[in-house]
Parts: sequence; C-alpha cells; structure tokens
Amino acid sequence: MIRLSEAATKQWLRQSGLPVPWGAAAHSADAACATVEAFPGATVVKAMVPTGRRGKAGAVLMADDGPQRGDAAAKLLGTVVNEYLTEAVYVEERIAIDAEYYFALLLNDAMPEVLVSRRGGVDIEDVTREAPEAIVRASIDPLNGLTKWAATELWLQAGATGPSLTHLAELSSRLYDAFCRADGLMLEINPLVLDKDGRLHLVGAMMGVDPHALFRHPVWTEAGEPLPANPRERAVALANRASQGGECQYVELDGDIGLLVGGGGAGLYQHDLVLEFGGAPANHCVTPPTSADNRKLKAVLSAILDNPALRGLLIGFNFAQMARTDIRVQTLIDVLDEKQIDTTVLPIVIRLFGAGEEQSRAMVAGRPNIHYVPRGTTLKQGAQLIVQLTAAARTAAENHA
Amino acid sequence: MSILLDSSTQVIVQGITGAQARFDTEWCLRYGTRIVAGVTPGRGGEQVHDIPVFDTVRRATEGRTIDASVLYVPPAMVKAAVLEAIDANIGLIVVTAEYVPQHDVIGIVAAARRAGVCLVGCNTNGVISPGRSKLGGVGGMNPSEIFAPGRIGVVSRSGGMSAEIGLALKAAAYGISTSVGMGGDAVTGLRMADYVRMFEQDPETDAIILFGEPGTDNEQEVAALVRAGTICKPVVAMIAGQFQERYPAGISFGHAAAMITDISKSASAKRRLLREAGIHLAQSLEEIPDLLRQALV
Repeated sequence: MIRLSEAATKQWLRQSGLPVPWGAAAHSADAACATVEAFPGATVVKAMVPTGRRGKAGAVLMADDGPQRGDAAAKLLGTVVNEYLTEAVYVEERIAIDAEYYFALLLNDAMPEVLVSRRGGVDIEDVTREAPEAIVRASIDPLNGLTKWAATELWLQAGATGPSLTHLAELSSRLYDAFCRADGLMLEINPLVLDKDGRLHLVGAMMGVDPHALFRHPVWTEAGEPLPANPRERAVALANRASQGGECQYVELDGDIGLLVGGGGAGLYQHDLVLEFGGAPANHCVTPPTSADNRKLKAVLSAILDNPALRGLLIGFNFAQMARTDIRVQTLIDVLDEKQIDTTVLPIVIRLFGAGEEQSRAMVAGRPNIHYVPRGTTLKQGAQLIVQLTAAARTAAENHA
Repeated sequence: MSILLDSSTQVIVQGITGAQARFDTEWCLRYGTRIVAGVTPGRGGEQVHDIPVFDTVRRATEGRTIDASVLYVPPAMVKAAVLEAIDANIGLIVVTAEYVPQHDVIGIVAAARRAGVCLVGCNTNGVISPGRSKLGGVGGMNPSEIFAPGRIGVVSRSGGMSAEIGLALKAAAYGISTSVGMGGDAVTGLRMADYVRMFEQDPETDAIILFGEPGTDNEQEVAALVRAGTICKPVVAMIAGQFQERYPAGISFGHAAAMITDISKSASAKRRLLREAGIHLAQSLEEIPDLLRQALV
C-alpha cells in the first residue's frame, strides 16, 4: 500500500468536490509564514507525517498570523513524530468544532468494509478497546457501492439523528465513490467535524492506495515510501521500483542459508523444510517469473551473496512450466564471477528442472561445490542436502578460525 | 468427467496475439485443448496458430458454443475483458494476469458471482484435466511428464506446487481428474471451498488434495464443509508457511495473500482446524500418496 501524504489525500478529496478545509503544505518556516497571503484566518499547523495520534504527540499547534505559523513550523520541522521524521507541515484552516465523528473505508477482502462512529477525534484503537459497540461496521457490495440509504442506516445505528444524519449519509456515499476512483485500500477520516453551523468538514484525512493501480494515477508514486534500513534489502527494493513487470522481494533473516526459491508456494514450503532439517535461512525472497530481463533476479542474487552471514545457498524452484532454467543459472554464474566468489567454501544446491536444463547443467559443470541435483530429486531432498552441506561448511570454517 | 473442463470444452483466448498467449495456445493445442477462436480488439481477421482472431468476444462466439475463455490481457485491461466475457455468457473465465488492481478484482469477482460464472484466478497458471484438456500455462511444454490422468482432484494456491503435487502423485502411480491453480491473491473468483464442492459432486474424483498457504479464510471454509458432512470424499491437505510464525507479523513472504496479519490465519492454525475437521495433513509432498492410500481403503 502506498500511503499518501495529508496534502495529497486532501487534494484528491477536494478535487472530488468534498468539504475539505483550506490547507497547504509547507517545507520551511518561511513558507508556512507566507501561507497567510492565501488564507488569512485562524489555522492549525500539523506535522505532515503518515500517522495518527499527532495531537497526543504534540504535533498539532494553534497559529493565527503569519509569524505564529512560521514559529509553529520551526518547532515541528525536523522532529520525529511517532517514528516519522517531519519534513513538512500542513497549515490548515481551524474549524469551530461542534461534534467529531469517525469514518473509515478498508479494502482487504472481496467486500470493502466501512466503519463509522460518533466517537471521532480520539484514537480509534482506544474506542475499539473501551467501547467496541460505538463502532458500526459493515460490508459494501462493490456492485452497489455505498448507497445513501445504506449509509443512513449505518449512521442511525451509530446514534446520529436529525439533519446531521442525512448530511453524514450523503457525505459517506460520496467518500466511497472518491475512495474507489482513487483505487484506495484505506481511507480514514478522523475527525469528521460538524461545525456550529451544521456543516461537515473532513479535518483529519489519511489514504493508502493500491501500488498496482498507479498507472491510473501518475501523480502518485512509490518514491515517498520509506526504504528498508538494511542495505541489501534497500538495494532490492530500489531494483524493484526501477522497472515494471514482476516484483522482487528480499527479507534478511538471522540464519546462514541463502534461499533463492520459487516465488509463492514452493518458497514457503522450502523455507519450512530448511528449518525442519535444523538449518537457519539467511533470507526469504521473491523473484519474478524469469524473462529475458534478469535485472531483478540479479538484484536478489546479489543481495543474498552480499550477506556476510552466508554459508550456503539453495536455489530451488518448482519443475519449470513456463520459465527457462538456463536464464537463472546464467545469472548465478554472472553474479558469482562478478563478485569473485569462491564456491569451495560456499556450497550451492540447485534444484532446477525443465526447459533449458541441459544447458544449465553444462554451465555449472566443473565448478567446485555446486550441487545440481539429479532429475527426480524432491524439494525436500534438496532442502536436506543444503542443510547438511552448510553445516559441514560452518564446521570447516570454525575449525579454520 | 473431471471438473470445469474436459476434452469437449470449447475455448476462446482473449488477448491471443500477445507473446505469452501465443506460447501457451500452441502448447494447449498440442495437448488437445479445443481452442476455436481468439479475441484482440483491432486485430480481427488475423490468425494465430490457424485460430481465427476476432475484435470482440461477441463475434468470436457467434455461431459457436463457447464454454470457456482464457485471458492474457494485461492487468489494466482485465476488468473490461472479464465483463465482456460475462456479457457474452461464457461460463468459465480463467484470468492469468498478476497485479490486477484490487478494486478491479473485487468488481469482477462480484460480477461473476452475480452472473453465476466460474471465475478462476486472477494470477492462475491454469486448469488441467490430464489427458483431456488444459487451460493456461499449466504443465508448460510437457504436461504429460508432470500430470497423469486419474481420479484425484487437486486445488492449489500455488501453480508451481500443483506441478510438484502432480509429480509426487505420478511417482506413486496416482493420477489426477482435474488440477486447479486457484491463484495466490487474497481475493480470488472461485474459492477453495467452491472447487472442493465440485470435486465432491464429480463421479470421476475419489479424493481431494489441497495446497494452502497462510492468510485468508479459504481453508477455514473447507474445514467447515467437511465438519458439516457436506464433503464426504477423503481430503488430504498440505499447508506451507509455518516458518512465518517465527518472525514478526506483517512481513510479506511471497504471495500477497500469504502475509499473516491475523494469527488465526497462520499455517499452524489452519493445520489444526483442518485436522480437527477430519482432514488428513501432509507435512511434505512425499507423505501425500501414503495418506491417500490410507484414506482410500
């Protein structure tokens, strides 16, 4: 999921014709001060970080004239709020609050879910714990959307009455439409504010969108997403962003057996097996289906081989139905040679059957300690072999030291 | 008769002029799949492996009985292509594309359900009824080496593991009625329980094998059916991914659906639930034939 900034979320909602208070992002105290030209009234200045609980963290300050906004921005910029570095602030029109509501949409199953509550303006986690009955939850049929009458029913159940009931229902229905058009996976409005004149305002707004739908939203990118701190994980994450097509992943773990394993089920299965035989994986990974473009595969292999804890490597895939085995093996050879890796101290087990297998076997023939297992070897036998070989390599290294 | 498809199933291929579609279509034809037409808007009148190409599904189905469509259209165009196939009353739709936007997926899953259409996928490598027909890339260039005909039904979250199950069964002289790669995404058209129900109804299937992963309620639904007595045929299940429970929640290890966000959806929780329902649990592929033998006496 790609989390949009408060400014980007509100921009989308504003463009969708929804009632968003005036607001602007500022990256410096001067810029915050200058917002007074666009909007002269009372404002709040908020640290622009993708997290809730900002009020509690002291990251929402009152400010009216330009200098006050500048001071507030100077205080917030550079601080860490709930583990996020504040690189920008959001200056927003201050709304006179009469009541605060909560509204959220989630998409992680076949039916989107909507949550509404009259207990807005506080942490929804606290409400869930203290008064779960105050949150009304329902599924939405994607073919019908969130109809006005269904939304009315939800807000009635949540305890809303009178004119605000119809306004809340109407707004909820329109929020759902905006959420769908954004390819949203999560939208949280907290607080949804009712002002003294009976008008609703989307004061707190956070949205996460589908990374696979960015082709419909070219202004949003993954560029702002935080990268992992581990340099090998970071390199793979960057390689993944660098080109389209299948995705690659690399998660480093604390063992010493590198896993270059089939993306889905076979990867899970082999990881289980390595543990069962007493081995400890150095990583888990996902590689895209092999094509002529092997950049992502190469990035993952490089990360695995760059891990200083590595003592053995398992290259285990399902019997190839579509991919060619020789592209994978050629990539292995390239990376081994590039990094001048001595395989006499790094056992490698290869379990790759299918198209291109003959060429693949020829490529590694004569190289020491590369064990290309015979046809018919099961995934389990491959896992057992790498655990045994790695244990031997570990013992040899320890004796040497 | 196997489930979903047999040797008489008539098939169209949407997006037939693309590279993967041409490749799979060639190997499907060689296997005996009755692919009778292809669709690529703007390419009507061309031919791919002697199969006529049409501009719309409606035209491809005119004057023909079409039972199934296999889609090779890119993720951005999947939704429209599925709705077009539903509109043309095609009863079985197989979507191979991965990374279809989530909102599009829930839209086509709901539309297929409303129309009573069988939607396989997204992100499936296909369906094979060995010796009769196959849809999609399953089995690659030599399906007969992997899948033998027989009386075991297989439904797998992973297309790759369906091949390994095929090999393990073949080595033990078991064959398969139909093997389905249901797709590894969190939301799929048909769910695991739907396939299990079909196998229960199929007179040519004696036992059912499941391959599951952490995440989603698919296995829980199957366990409920077995517990309720709706499923009487023996079921053997293998659930991979127990290792995830050693690591912090929320790390993604592969298939999008296989991320544990809820411990009740972990591999061990699923194994426990399935075992309590009377389903035979295999720790490894090698155990599957033995469990089948015990279950089928």
